[in-house]
Amino acid sequence: MIQYAAILLIFIGLYGLLTNRNIIKIIISLNIIEIGLNIFIISIGFVFDGIAPIMTSVNNSSALIYVDPVPQALVLTAIVIGVGTTALGLALAKNIHSKYKTLEIDEVEES
Amino acid sequence: MMNPIFLIAFPLLAAFLSILSKKLAPVLLLLIALLNTVMAIFIPMGIVGIGGFSFPYGINLYVDTYAQIGLLLVNGLFTVIAILNIKKYKAYSSVLLVALTGLNGLLLTGDLFNLFVFLEISGIAAYLITSSNKKPLSTFHYLVMGSVGSSLYLFGLIILYSMFGTLNFMDMIHQIQVASIDYTDLILPFFMMFVGLGVEAKLLPFNSWVKGVLKHSNTLSGPMVAGVYAAAISLVLGRLIHNLFLFEGKLYLVVVVLLVFGIVLGEAMAFASDDVKEILLYSSISQACITALLFVHGVIIWAVYLIIANGISKTLMFLVTNRAEEQTGNAKMDSLQGLFSNNKVIGIAFTIAALSVIGMPLFAGFVIKLNYLTVLAHLDQLVVIAIILLSSIVEGIYFIRLLIKLWYPKDTDIEPIKFHLSYKIILGLMAAVLLVFGTYSAPLNQLDNSIDQVSEEIEVIFHG
Amino acid sequence: MKKILAFILTMGLGALVIISLSNNEFFPEFGMADLTERVSIEYITKGSALDVIFNQTNNPESGPANIVTSIVIDYRSFDTLGEVTVLFISSLGIALLLGGAAIPKRLDLNFKPNFMLRVGSRALFSIIIMTGVYVISHGHLTPGGGFPGGTMIASAFLLLYLADDQFRAKIKGFKIMESIAGSLYVIIGLIGLILADQFLENFLPNGTVGVLISSGILPVVYILIGLKVGSEISGIIDHFLTEEEVL
Repeated sequence: MIQYAAILLIFIGLYGLLTNRNIIKIIISLNIIEIGLNIFIISIGFVFDGIAPIMTSVNNSSALIYVDPVPQALVLTAIVIGVGTTALGLALAKNIHSKYKTLEIDEVEES
Repeated sequence: MMNPIFLIAFPLLAAFLSILSKKLAPVLLLLIALLNTVMAIFIPMGIVGIGGFSFPYGINLYVDTYAQIGLLLVNGLFTVIAILNIKKYKAYSSVLLVALTGLNGLLLTGDLFNLFVFLEISGIAAYLITSSNKKPLSTFHYLVMGSVGSSLYLFGLIILYSMFGTLNFMDMIHQIQVASIDYTDLILPFFMMFVGLGVEAKLLPFNSWVKGVLKHSNTLSGPMVAGVYAAAISLVLGRLIHNLFLFEGKLYLVVVVLLVFGIVLGEAMAFASDDVKEILLYSSISQACITALLFVHGVIIWAVYLIIANGISKTLMFLVTNRAEEQTGNAKMDSLQGLFSNNKVIGIAFTIAALSVIGMPLFAGFVIKLNYLTVLAHLDQLVVIAIILLSSIVEGIYFIRLLIKLWYPKDTDIEPIKFHLSYKIILGLMAAVLLVFGTYSAPLNQLDNSIDQVSEEIEVIFHG
Repeated sequence: MKKILAFILTMGLGALVIISLSNNEFFPEFGMADLTERVSIEYITKGSALDVIFNQTNNPESGPANIVTSIVIDYRSFDTLGEVTVLFISSLGIALLLGGAAIPKRLDLNFKPNFMLRVGSRALFSIIIMTGVYVISHGHLTPGGGFPGGTMIASAFLLLYLADDQFRAKIKGFKIMESIAGSLYVIIGLIGLILADQFLENFLPNGTVGVLISSGILPVVYILIGLKVGSEISGIIDHFLTEEEVL
């Protein structure tokens, strides 16, 4: 079920991307798409009755049932890449504002 | 002894060190670009592991002739653009070094998630290179579309991981072959990955960013995006289409229809335009769609030659146009009339590139076009051949119209535009390559579809 | 009108994707993932036939007790190098886009922080830095590592920026630290190529699973990543809070 909720989140973000005209709202929609994608990636690794993939003095053997650690490592990378892109988008928004004095893409005249 | 990892590690190390000193950064850029081009000639073939782990549990790089041709082309064109732009765009040296890392990584890697990471690295470097146009809204549009594309690619990849349990390129192909799976189950992930790469590769209908970025380009961003990046992404897409996707059934139909639309629309918009840069960028879009169409039908070697010829031609034409625009202020055909009557060498080079794109005899484009149309005829793809021939005619009309306007000045004089000697030498050499292979095309026939060795390598690993 | 069309389009596509996935027999249900069919089982058992026991197994294939850490900086270390590069070029890009001001001074926001805030934040700053250092250095034993720890260090600097409207950190120092940390990561990889056989191979002994000093070069790599991430994000914060140049 959680997988389908995450896919719904991705498409809600896509809807926001298609209909919004304010630059900050477009960046937020992009972030919602990325959050939905990250939740989807983690959700495919879940195993019922699995524990977190860290060996401690309590869970001290590698023969126990663990959750899948590979999607968690992939999400680590994907989150950082999303942060980099969002920061660049916001810097561009700051440049657009200082050049055209507005943040609506309809009012900016760039042919 | 040469390890392919040097092609990625040295530019990265230079990029990290180059931010310490602003004066040394351009020197480092030129040195590393030249070093990469030379190293690409001597690269050893085969699988190279990273991290010291056995086959599918670590990441590995994969080199075959296909990758070597791609590396030579991309590094060579990059060096040319860097040499011609280094005086004016010094501040972008670190960005260009990271872009070089990303492009080499794209062509070398053998792991699908690693491909995603390098796609993002090259993508962000491309956004920064296009920010040199000083048009922040076009760059923002490019950023949004590129991020959505990469997210769709990752979505498709994760579905494949949950179905087959591996992220390695060759392991994934092997698992798909061994599992008796209905192709309809694979339509969704393959289509998502194809769309994700298609955004960057300018395929329809995801190429709305191309107009904004290339229309306002300058001598750095224009050739980079339309020449170097287009070649690298087309080569990566080709490798994936030929080995992993293997389109069949309904998906094949949908993809072919999309690509054919792309070709037709691209040529139509180029015909209707009067701005030189718009003509060039729409022509790039339709050539990218033609290349993808050839890969879908398995015509590997001629698609690779087409990528090489297009890379050289488009880089040349964008360099000339943007340089001229710097000095006159805009790029409409009427303002650049008579450009070549004062600059004979540049004019001849530009003419050779344009005629090669159309496919006139005596130039490389003609040989390539003849050969791939012949192969398509063997495969009975008559509709595709008809569309390509029609679009070639349209292309011929608008390019010849452009060339006539640029050679013959009207009554009103334009101020003479100067091109440096370095421009003339380098562009002349590039045009000479197109001329030589157009007239003497026997060496082109020595390589064939077997330059892509992935399926042979899989046989060796799993059954050898 | 356009909104309704976009809504129908996206919800239609979403429904299509969900239906296609639920009809796919190879795509496992939520919670039914079989790890023995995936590569993950080799990462958990660290490639050995015997079980790996906390505080007892000596010199396994990959040292950390935190299996996700062993994937991120041992098995798939090349991806982490790429991710570090993405952060690097984002920070470089922001410096290029926003860094044109001749005399950088703080952006004028409309609030004036009071005395308690300014003093209290300095006390809190050292505690946050200590937490960040702890999380970074124990990355191979507990959840965390270089990325969250580096972000904690950057958030300590953000606290100082927000609490005092005249504060500016030393950007030059951040740039030098970022450059040196990044170069050291690639150089460690190249040393692995020379001493062992392949790029980024672990060339120090792995020790016992679960001890603080173990896993060869991995804690060193995480410390470098933590410093790099912290200095980059602090640099980004500083660029955003400077006065804009007149374009």
